[in-house]
Amino acid sequence: MAEAIQKKLKAEVEKYSQMQKDVSKSMASRQKLETQLTENNIVKEEMDLLDSTNTVYKLIGPVLVKQDLDEAKATVAKRLEYINGEIQRYETLLKDMEKKSDQHREVLSSLQQEFQKAQGLAVGKV
Amino acid sequence: MAEKGKMDLEHLGGVVRLREEHEKVVKDCESRIQHWKKVSGDYEALKDRLETLPDQLSYDIMVPFGPLAFMPGKLVHTNEVTVLLGDNWFSKCSAKQAQKIVDHRMSYVTSEIDDLSKTMKNFEARVGLAKDLETMSTTKGEYVEIREDTGNSDTAATKGKQRVAHKPNSKPKLDAVLDLEEEDEENEENEENRNGGSIKGIMSKEELWARLDELEKLEELQDERDRLPDNADINGEDTSSSSSEEEKEGDAAPPVNGLSLKPSWSSVPHSKAPPSGDIKEDDEEEEGSCLPTIYFSHTVEPKKVRINTGKNTTLKFSERKEQKEHSKRKKKNGHNGHSHHELHKITTPADIYRLFVDVKNGEPIPRKSILKSRSRENSVCSDTSESSAADFEERRMIGRSFSHDEATHSDTSDGITEEDSPTTVPLHPASRFEAFSGTVVEKDPMPSAVPHLTIAPPALPTILERKQEEVTPDVAPPQQPPKRVSKFKAARLQHK
Repeated sequence: MAEAIQKKLKAEVEKYSQMQKDVSKSMASRQKLETQLTENNIVKEEMDLLDSTNTVYKLIGPVLVKQDLDEAKATVAKRLEYINGEIQRYETLLKDMEKKSDQHREVLSSLQQEFQKAQGLAVGKV
Repeated sequence: MAEKGKMDLEHLGGVVRLREEHEKVVKDCESRIQHWKKVSGDYEALKDRLETLPDQLSYDIMVPFGPLAFMPGKLVHTNEVTVLLGDNWFSKCSAKQAQKIVDHRMSYVTSEIDDLSKTMKNFEARVGLAKDLETMSTTKGEYVEIREDTGNSDTAATKGKQRVAHKPNSKPKLDAVLDLEEEDEENEENEENRNGGSIKGIMSKEELWARLDELEKLEELQDERDRLPDNADINGEDTSSSSSEEEKEGDAAPPVNGLSLKPSWSSVPHSKAPPSGDIKEDDEEEEGSCLPTIYFSHTVEPKKVRINTGKNTTLKFSERKEQKEHSKRKKKNGHNGHSHHELHKITTPADIYRLFVDVKNGEPIPRKSILKSRSRENSVCSDTSESSAADFEERRMIGRSFSHDEATHSDTSDGITEEDSPTTVPLHPASRFEAFSGTVVEKDPMPSAVPHLTIAPPALPTILERKQEEVTPDVAPPQQPPKRVSKFKAARLQHK
């Protein structure tokens, strides 16, 4: 009885830790996105400071590729959009994970209680 | 105390940890601010350089060549810089533009620093609080902690009192019971006074009672007047004075079951305990004096309904009450003036329970189970309904005996019992029964009562009528519709 519960408990704990890993992973990526967002924002603002006489380059690998200013601006805007969408996606994902991990936690606590009970019973029997 | 110390320790640990965390945050903020300050300084230098760079067309400089060597070189295109905008975006711009960009970055950096310093201050304050807490809980020095143990709050902080459901067997509300008792006493006193002897020592209240009686009479009179039109139908049967009714009862009952109403008389003393019967009594009394017929219509209807439904709800009570009422009625018929206080009391179903209060040793005791007694009777009724009237009667007897016991208790407590009955006896033909033990009497009334099982307390007075009707079932008055010809009747007929 106690062993079965222990097995269950172990599996559950593994699941839970996996979940926690996922959560922290997505959290980190979200953070990264956040910094990218601020960076791109700055880029956009600074591009607004430039005018058509300036040439804009994009570093692709080892080379600087010349780009049109307007094009660059559009690209940056698109990038911003994408980053925003990505952040939103991660937000919902995190919420979902939070819920799931909560459930896991509940299951874990109940399992723990059961396990303790079973242990206590076993001890009592002995 | 040990526990408390432990708690303190835990508490202390929590506080310490809280403080540590806060300090961590503060340190983090500090380092970040440091970083941003450095960045800001760099930008400051950059800005200075950009300002002076375009001043000359070219500069002789030592160009770093790898990490170890420098080479002499020349800086040309002094007004032309390539700026990393971020995210691998570069742009070639003039020194002036570069300065603008630097300014923009600087503003961002300063805002960042401001934010960080704000959060740092916030957390510093929290650290201070945590420290204070720590010192407070460790050293009972200048700080005194005011602590109130709330304990396990079973009485959760709810507004007002918690509401508690009435327990089925709990005593009825005292006030209501008291009122009923008083009424009972009243009646008793009245009876006593009229009888010329006061068995009970409530004499002190006599005056009060008398006054109450007067008022009651007035009320009753009015009620009767109001009801007169309604009762007219019933009058045909009931028109006879109360005394005549009583006689009828006595006469009528015997033919039906071979048992006369007399038992009811014997039970009279019991009736006092339950106050429910008073109202009707009053009415009857008045009827006897003024308009005898008024009440019958009322009572009849409830009976009918119950019988028709075939449900035994409150059967026992009703029977009992009927008996009591009968007895009271008879008594009261002889005497004038009674209180019908109870009438107004029955305004809610809960009141019915109050009505069914037994008085034992002068204390009101809620009837244990109307339902139980009822259930018993129910079973009986179902059985007897059409087949075995004899069994039915027997069972009845049992039930009666129970009720009788209760009644006797109440009687003893009241002190008015058989003595009263004899006085009333002359009025009623059933007087001879009084000699019998209570049980005997009850048996007899049972059969008669059977048909009336369903009578509600207010309907009490109708018993006599019913009996009459039952005796002459075919001639049932217009008021008594086919309902009257219920199982009970059938059973009775069979019995005959």
